[in-house]
Amino acid sequence: MKYAFYPGCVAKGGCPELYTAAVKVAEKLDIELEEMSDVACTGAGCMPTHLSDPINARTFAKAEQMGLPIMTICSTCQGVFSQANHRLQDAEYREEINREYLAEEGLSYQGTTEVKHMLWVLFEDLGVDKLKSLIQRPLEGLKVSPFYGCFLRRPGPIMVPTKEVGGRRGYLEDLTQLLGAENVDISGKTKCCGFPVLTANEESSLGMVAKHAGESKQNGADCMVTPCPLCHLNLDGNQPRAESLKGEKINLPIIHLPQLLGLALGFDADEMQLGKHIVSTKAVNDKVDMLT
Amino acid sequence: MEVTYKVHREDPENGGESSFSTYQVDLPEDATVLDGLQKIRDEQDDTLAFRASCCQGTCGECAVRINWRAQFTCTTKIADVTKKGPEILCAPVRNIPVIKDLVFDMDKFTWDKMAAMKPWMEPEDEFAPTENLIPESEMADVRKTMSCYQCGLCDEGCAVLPVDFDFLGPGAMVKGYRFVMDPRETGARKEERLAVVEQPKGLWDCVHCYEANGKCARGLEPSSKIMEMRDVSFKHGIKNEKVARHHNSFINSVKQTGWLDERKLVMETEGLTNIGGLMKLVPTAVRAMTRGKMPGRHEKRPGADQIKRIIEKAEESK
Amino acid sequence: MPEYDVLVIGGGAAGLRAAIAAKRAGASVALLSKVHPLRTNSALSPGGINAPLGSDDSVQKFADDIMNAGDGLCNSEAVNALAAEAAREVVWLERVGVPFNRDADGRIDRRALGSGSVERAAYADDRTGHTVLHVLHEQFQRYDIPCFKEWFVTSLIQDAGACTGAVALDHRSGRIESFSAGAVILATGGFIQAYRPCTAAVGTTGDGLALGYDMGVGLADMEMVQFHPTVYNATRTALISEATLSAGARLVNAAGDTVVDAAGLSRAQLAAAVDKAGRNGGGPVSLDLRPVENLTSRFPGAAEVVRLMAGLDITQVPVPVQPVAHRAMGGLDANASGETSVAGLFAVGECAHSGVHGAGRMPGNTLTEAVVFGKRVGEAAAAHAKSAGARSASTDQAARDGGRLAEITSGGSSGDTMGTIHRELGEVMHANLGVTRSDAGLTEAQEKIRTLRERHGKLRVGNKSRIFNYALTSYIELGNMLKLAEAVALAARGRNESRGAHLRSDFPERDDTSWKAHTVVHQQDGAPKLDRKAVSA
Repeated sequence: MKYAFYPGCVAKGGCPELYTAAVKVAEKLDIELEEMSDVACTGAGCMPTHLSDPINARTFAKAEQMGLPIMTICSTCQGVFSQANHRLQDAEYREEINREYLAEEGLSYQGTTEVKHMLWVLFEDLGVDKLKSLIQRPLEGLKVSPFYGCFLRRPGPIMVPTKEVGGRRGYLEDLTQLLGAENVDISGKTKCCGFPVLTANEESSLGMVAKHAGESKQNGADCMVTPCPLCHLNLDGNQPRAESLKGEKINLPIIHLPQLLGLALGFDADEMQLGKHIVSTKAVNDKVDMLT
Repeated sequence: MEVTYKVHREDPENGGESSFSTYQVDLPEDATVLDGLQKIRDEQDDTLAFRASCCQGTCGECAVRINWRAQFTCTTKIADVTKKGPEILCAPVRNIPVIKDLVFDMDKFTWDKMAAMKPWMEPEDEFAPTENLIPESEMADVRKTMSCYQCGLCDEGCAVLPVDFDFLGPGAMVKGYRFVMDPRETGARKEERLAVVEQPKGLWDCVHCYEANGKCARGLEPSSKIMEMRDVSFKHGIKNEKVARHHNSFINSVKQTGWLDERKLVMETEGLTNIGGLMKLVPTAVRAMTRGKMPGRHEKRPGADQIKRIIEKAEESK
Repeated sequence: MPEYDVLVIGGGAAGLRAAIAAKRAGASVALLSKVHPLRTNSALSPGGINAPLGSDDSVQKFADDIMNAGDGLCNSEAVNALAAEAAREVVWLERVGVPFNRDADGRIDRRALGSGSVERAAYADDRTGHTVLHVLHEQFQRYDIPCFKEWFVTSLIQDAGACTGAVALDHRSGRIESFSAGAVILATGGFIQAYRPCTAAVGTTGDGLALGYDMGVGLADMEMVQFHPTVYNATRTALISEATLSAGARLVNAAGDTVVDAAGLSRAQLAAAVDKAGRNGGGPVSLDLRPVENLTSRFPGAAEVVRLMAGLDITQVPVPVQPVAHRAMGGLDANASGETSVAGLFAVGECAHSGVHGAGRMPGNTLTEAVVFGKRVGEAAAAHAKSAGARSASTDQAARDGGRLAEITSGGSSGDTMGTIHRELGEVMHANLGVTRSDAGLTEAQEKIRTLRERHGKLRVGNKSRIFNYALTSYIELGNMLKLAEAVALAARGRNESRGAHLRSDFPERDDTSWKAHTVVHQQDGAPKLDRKAVSA
């Protein structure tokens, strides 16, 4: 199994621990990664589509040349890619972009590149049996709130296009259980984390952090797991600010998806760089330590 | 068939406490949830308050949450909501103050927010003797958008409203879209339209979580419409200054290096001369630094020159 | 006490258009509506809005077609006004925002509705009423006209013979308030909810007709009730536009054979033909929409409503249809400016009878009527208000109405219910005052309606609240419908001929000697009295 690996800007910037964890975990799972180092940021919803579609078409064309599907580790990258790729299935539009933007570099996108988030790869390509066989430390007793955020599930017709991949609506819960941990449900697990509106309406954004993290804590979770580093930036990085806004302590560790996976695969907290988080992960570390 | 209705009750004349009443109702197999509510009011409890009008899914008046999912009582068949059990739960839609039982405050919920869109045209040639000549291809999307019921189902699913009730919400944004995209609103009027949708608590307060897309009974994809308007706004120049700084910094960063410089983005968004705004960032920056989380030097990527070329060409295309 | 030059009652297309026109004419205006304007029955009109916009069309042709469809009962002044002013109104609607479908030249496209001889209906997919209503509401907001929505009018105020205001109950606060006005416009819609089944919104209960009738205005041509020929009907109904027939849809039996050829038939004839075919033993009549090209893009509303209400896919299977009560042509006797016999009281839209539809309304004329007459009546009411002297409206009447509401809400259950009475009323109206009538059936209907009125008179509402007490307002609405049903039956029994929508099995011929005249029902000592009135040439 081999992928063109697209880590995204945040895993190379504000959340370096995500990159480290993803690479280590992939190796352990026999997922071969060839990192795409000469391609652009997706635009992350901050660039209008008339600017982002051409640069994303370029990325897809590069992967097509490599003959590999793309694997992402960021829901936002995945969401923007999926939507762009959906538009680029229109042959006329794709040809226009090839002609106007890609031809000069000798590239042409044929519309065949598949883009998959690591969470999807685990279930749809690697398979549950293989994954199970590699678990060295079932996370028994660890209480985890899955938090999807927006872009892995919506818009539905694009992100979960067929019945065959209908499981995408529950992979995160499935994975938590499969790793031996306990699911702690929260009402907002598929809602927005607030990150996209941090600029325009900070209070609203921090309100969402307080709501989700607070509810998870109240329901007894030890931590939250998310497949999206932007959710992580807000839920973890801005949790102290959300706390002061609401005037209450939350103190809920937020774990990246590959980190949780890594702990079950036998990596220790340092290897998964849990120390790089803003909210201390001590409660998680302690529980995991007891398991070994 | 015999079904059990469990209906939310709230009486402003009696303390406004919320509770549920339970009713057993015998209904035809093809009955709607509304049929049952009407039967309850007629035969069992004439104090029950709920709205309805067209009874055929055309007007948008009867939105409530049925088994916790917001939909119209007049088009929801009881057979479809009793597959898991004979109980039909009816509650007011979320994000909205209740007046009585299933009647909620549409003024605050929708009408006031719609009105904030200045939702009318004032053409200079209002009384011209003939119509505007417009190709059908330019009219179809506006017409479809105008099929919006203004029922509030999209607002019901909104992720922002629960934390900021003043957000104008996807419903009002769809109304705004109808004007922003109308081929008859040109020149200065188009700029005014954009300014209206970009007002505080408007276009840029949406988190584009795409919840609203799945909620619209008419399939109008309100979230996608918001994103389309952002694209238009971008081409015309974003009118919200802070958002404009954010977007410009973002794009410049990608243009110069191929990828996002988060540190620069955060500072440029606040405005490099905005000392107060920048000071607010300090605690977060300090926390990040102590965790070894601060991004390092922002290196230019291989391929960055091609990326820059593409973006610059695309910028000209507007 | 709130005071306005013009008070409009009813928030549908006609009421909104009248309010805008009165405001533009310089009057202070307020609008009262028992539901929000966007929830009114106007939203349900799918097919189109007629105007002679085509190069092959003319005002004269339009007027001739209306007169023809009206089967001898049209008032020519009203018809000429409608035909002459329709194009200007439709063009105005386009200018202020209705995104009408376009033809190849970018002009407003026109289509035929049913058997219309000319392609004359401008349309917005098959959601024309919805779209026109929304644009009128936009313009209504532009003029910043106060909108008392979810206010239920309990009575009109009369002073020295003139109408000087109205009393209304606010659903939200439970408050009863008097509104003083120089002129009052009734734009409350029809009374088709008196029929079961019917195609109208639940509020189409004839409140305005009853208010005017109680004040002494006559009810004209009440027997003329139009049935829509292509309606799916089970527990709930779904109306499919007749425009589908012009576009190629067929009326078939269970075997798929065409059983009714719609070409050249008026709406009344088509309804009668579908009704007859349904009783001929060939199984139910179905509308086969599959032959229509680009079906779902041309008729998205039909696709949606049939899917929702019938659970059927119009691209796959024929839809069972039957004629269902759709639109009243009778109403408050008014002239082409909406003036009634009571000074200061105007009527417009479906609650009014200006004689524009005669005995048979052309499909597509409801919306045209709403905007053309809405404008005329709004302007006439504004002019009247300016010339009217000082108005007085005492608060006594609000107290009196409060007392009446208290009397209604003084009881509990008696075994009988409003729903039962409403259902029985609707069934007898459908059966005996339906597509075809006979003296025996009408006599039976009169008796049934009389007993239903008695039962209604004995009923009381248990809910004593004034806040969103829909049981209370339903009680008043049901009383209104019963009162109007009595007038319908009386007029229908009186007109012993067949004309337009009024088909008598015992008098199958049109009788111009005796009946080239309107029926007019007045209330005398609480009982309906039938007169006839000449058709104005």
